[in-house]
Amino acid sequence: MIRTWGEILAERAAALVLVLVLLVLYAPVFVGALFSVVTVTRQGIDWQSATLSWYGTLLGNADIARALRTTLIVSIIAVTGASVLSVTLALYVNWQKAIGRTLIELLVYLPFLLPPIITGLSLLIFFARIGVDRGVATIAVGHSVFVLAILYRVVLTRLQSIPPQLVEASADLGATRWQTFRFILWPQMRPAVITGAILGFALSFDETLISVFLAGSDSTLPLRLWAMMRVGFTPEINALVTLVLLVTIGLAVVISLRMHPGEGRG
Amino acid sequence: MTRLPVRLVLFVLAAAVPVIFVLVPIGSFLVMSFWKMDGADIVPAATVSNYVEFWSNESYRRTFLFTLRLCAGVTAIGLILGYPIAWVIWRMQSRWRTLVLLLTVIPLFMSYIVKIYTMRSILGLNGLLNMALVAAGILEKPSTLFLYNQTAILATMAVVYMPFVILPIYLALDRIPGTLVAASSDLGARPWTTFRRIVLPLSAPGVVAGALFSYILSLGDYITPQMVGGPSGFTFGRIIWSQFGLAYNWPFGAAMAAVLFVVALVLIAALGRLGKLDGGLP
Repeated sequence: MIRTWGEILAERAAALVLVLVLLVLYAPVFVGALFSVVTVTRQGIDWQSATLSWYGTLLGNADIARALRTTLIVSIIAVTGASVLSVTLALYVNWQKAIGRTLIELLVYLPFLLPPIITGLSLLIFFARIGVDRGVATIAVGHSVFVLAILYRVVLTRLQSIPPQLVEASADLGATRWQTFRFILWPQMRPAVITGAILGFALSFDETLISVFLAGSDSTLPLRLWAMMRVGFTPEINALVTLVLLVTIGLAVVISLRMHPGEGRG
Repeated sequence: MTRLPVRLVLFVLAAAVPVIFVLVPIGSFLVMSFWKMDGADIVPAATVSNYVEFWSNESYRRTFLFTLRLCAGVTAIGLILGYPIAWVIWRMQSRWRTLVLLLTVIPLFMSYIVKIYTMRSILGLNGLLNMALVAAGILEKPSTLFLYNQTAILATMAVVYMPFVILPIYLALDRIPGTLVAASSDLGARPWTTFRRIVLPLSAPGVVAGALFSYILSLGDYITPQMVGGPSGFTFGRIIWSQFGLAYNWPFGAAMAAVLFVVALVLIAALGRLGKLDGGLP
């Protein structure tokens, strides 16, 4: 196909926009990494001061270690809960005789579609009304309803792609419903559940806008980072920022590799 | 045949968790928006005074309308820059496409707080922008103009929410059958005509989903305005948040959140009908 000048020009222009936007989007990685090893003064960057010592300081910081632990506990509880729930709900919605499908799907997607502040404050008010103190459990519930939408979507798409003949054949051959799930459906759903769980973990690890409302004295890593930034810029923050970014980028790459092209839109 | 009572029991079991942790909390905040403060206590009531106060107070109303405009700006920037990006990725050869798509998706997972923090270190007095401008001789000394104002909020939100616009548009473009584009050009349509009559209409659902995500997320954001907006950067989300913090007036905060909730629902319902939301979820 011969491309016209107009097309080539449009492509060039769009590619330029792409490069510029990517530069800005990736600025956090470069800026954080740079400022974590060198000192910045009014005169500019002091290249002589380059040191990795801030990473050492970071390792000895008990506050950060505690925040990291809280974050991991919250993410694991939230993702485990949401995984079990997403499989259950997907099986239910996929069942031909199910009633109230629309309501269930609406409730699953709402926390993902609404601004996170709404999910945060509605759960805050709910927990206060029933007398539950804020802590790890409340943050985990908040994250759970948030990541459920993604997990559910990924799991349901996979479930719907399983030919119904497989289930019918399994029943014809005398398998119970449990056996059909265990030996026919689950092996096909498992990769989707794992992909969804990693995706959910990445979202939960970074979640801030809901956590603010639901964290009591236990703060998660993003909340801790926010508190540190309000005090001021330190190379230690930048060292932490760099490490956090490396972890999230690693997760994102793993997720993308698992979602093969074409399946990714599921 | 599964009898109706069995189906009902299964429905109740399946719906239990979403109802308890999504529907009931939304219900409780909507109910609380009709309550009031009595000194330092939140007391049940059936009053619309919170809503009246919100709408009759000039500064709250102005902030609300300002936030609606601000987020429209964020979304407009997202679409103007995001559409060409999604389009050019879609036009790439497949081995490049996967890599570049990955590069645009990764920022979705990069820490939200870190992104805001970086924008602050770029726009600040000792920031990279000032350093570059001073080094280039454009500015004589670092300027405070770039941070702690409404433009800083607009720029930061545009950056933070850009990937949410690009991804749905790309997914919509990716679904266009190549045969349609080929047929259009075989029938003699010029590239611009093919784009206008085939590509653009078929990618509209992605545009709608991306715009919706960007608008709703920026509408409820309260950390970005606080971090880069400074004292002049009050947005609706920030006012709501403050009611649950220092200002301590949960019923009033709930009423304003109810306004936000209704705005979001109307947008989701209206735009969701326009373009199928399916494209929006990764």
